[in-house]
Amino acid sequence: MRLDALQITKNIGHLTIVKDVTLSINPGEVVAIFGPNGAGKTTLIKILSTLLRPTSGKLKIGNIDAIADYLQVRNTLGVIIHEQLAYPVLTPYENLKFFGQMYHVEDLETRCKTLLDEVGLNRFIHEPIHTFSRGMTQRFMIAKALLHYPSILLLDEPFSGLDASARQIVIDRIAKEQQNDRSVVITTHNIDLGYLVGTRFLFMINGELEEIAQKNEIDKETLQKLYEVRMVDTVQKRL
Amino acid sequence: MKALRQITALIRKDLRLQIGSKETLALIFVFCVLVVLIFAFAFGPIFPDKMERGKLTASVLWAAFVFAGIITLNRSFILERAHGALHGIRLTGVDAGSLYLSKVISSVIFLFLLQVVITPIALQLLDIFDVVTIEILLKLFGILIIGTFGFCSVGVLLAGISTSTTGGESLLSVLLLPLVIPIIMCGTKCTVSILITGGLEDRLWLYMLIGSSLLFFASAYLLADAVIEE
Repeated sequence: MRLDALQITKNIGHLTIVKDVTLSINPGEVVAIFGPNGAGKTTLIKILSTLLRPTSGKLKIGNIDAIADYLQVRNTLGVIIHEQLAYPVLTPYENLKFFGQMYHVEDLETRCKTLLDEVGLNRFIHEPIHTFSRGMTQRFMIAKALLHYPSILLLDEPFSGLDASARQIVIDRIAKEQQNDRSVVITTHNIDLGYLVGTRFLFMINGELEEIAQKNEIDKETLQKLYEVRMVDTVQKRL
Repeated sequence: MKALRQITALIRKDLRLQIGSKETLALIFVFCVLVVLIFAFAFGPIFPDKMERGKLTASVLWAAFVFAGIITLNRSFILERAHGALHGIRLTGVDAGSLYLSKVISSVIFLFLLQVVITPIALQLLDIFDVVTIEILLKLFGILIIGTFGFCSVGVLLAGISTSTTGGESLLSVLLLPLVIPIIMCGTKCTVSILITGGLEDRLWLYMLIGSSLLFFASAYLLADAVIEE
């Protein structure tokens, strides 16, 4: 499914968090957005996931105006943000079962068990989420984002708090989703991981999005250097 | 059909969270019993005549249930907002009306279960249990459930607003209590009438209770989208 954001701006009070962002994502594309803390990545993901209304601009998901008809597009999105988007007092299985009922997922019990097995939480199926470590919670959030076979994945810092094995699960899963012609947007400040999973790269600094290159046009080292140059420029401008 | 299944899942989840939370259950139960005990000690041990006892019991029941309702609604929305669970629900594509409706129904069920437990205790401690028949008790629960529906109709909406702000817990009482005065007034009048005469002498209070509850429900239902989405 295609996602088109046109001149999206978000103001909160006097601050402009996202400035005039235009972005198109095609099916099968993995767009990696790199940026420092406070760049507006999370706000952008929240806008793309329809959780936050932009101050101005247009958002189309498929052929639907996602700002006006948000209810029609929401169940096509798999979202990871900094919040759990679930109930910490419930177990991962109870959470997935409840959200699966809300999404009308078929053969729900098998789906829940398969996903929990995939993210390595099958031993903790009956433990409440509030007892989980940061990494385990992140694994649960990955399972929850994939529960309803979403066409578009919007992943805000999906590698945050993950150990090597869990990181590999996310990397493999993103590759699998790409093969299935799903669109993926990930935000990260980790160039290594972003480069590994991404097919197209963008920088987001001070709320502005800058298109950098397709994967076949740039190597990791150049991308890393370019990012560092942009960061230095930003710091100098602030001073 | 899809909306109905979503509403059912939401109600089951709400009840599972509310009944499963031992802290909330204990807090609300102890609070209600304390209110009843304080009044029982203040007016007892020798209670006035039946008419005065009826008035006292009605006041105690409504005071206890109104404040228990505020605690219930606050807790319910705090759970939804604490870790973004409400965003998770919004992402499933459920419409705000269904979400609002499920919250009203689950809160009414939860508070009604509480009333079923607390009412006999209050009747016993306020020395009116001997004059209350099964028929009177059923009528009493009927009034309580209508009043609770009206209270939750507006309470759910305001809890949705207040818990999204800093210090929202205290804000809910300030916003909600003046608005639900018609519900409390009519509900108390009906309860007094049932406890003293065994029936409703003046049906105007009942009609006003039903009317205000429905009016609150309809208005809040229409505003639910703005509160949940903004």
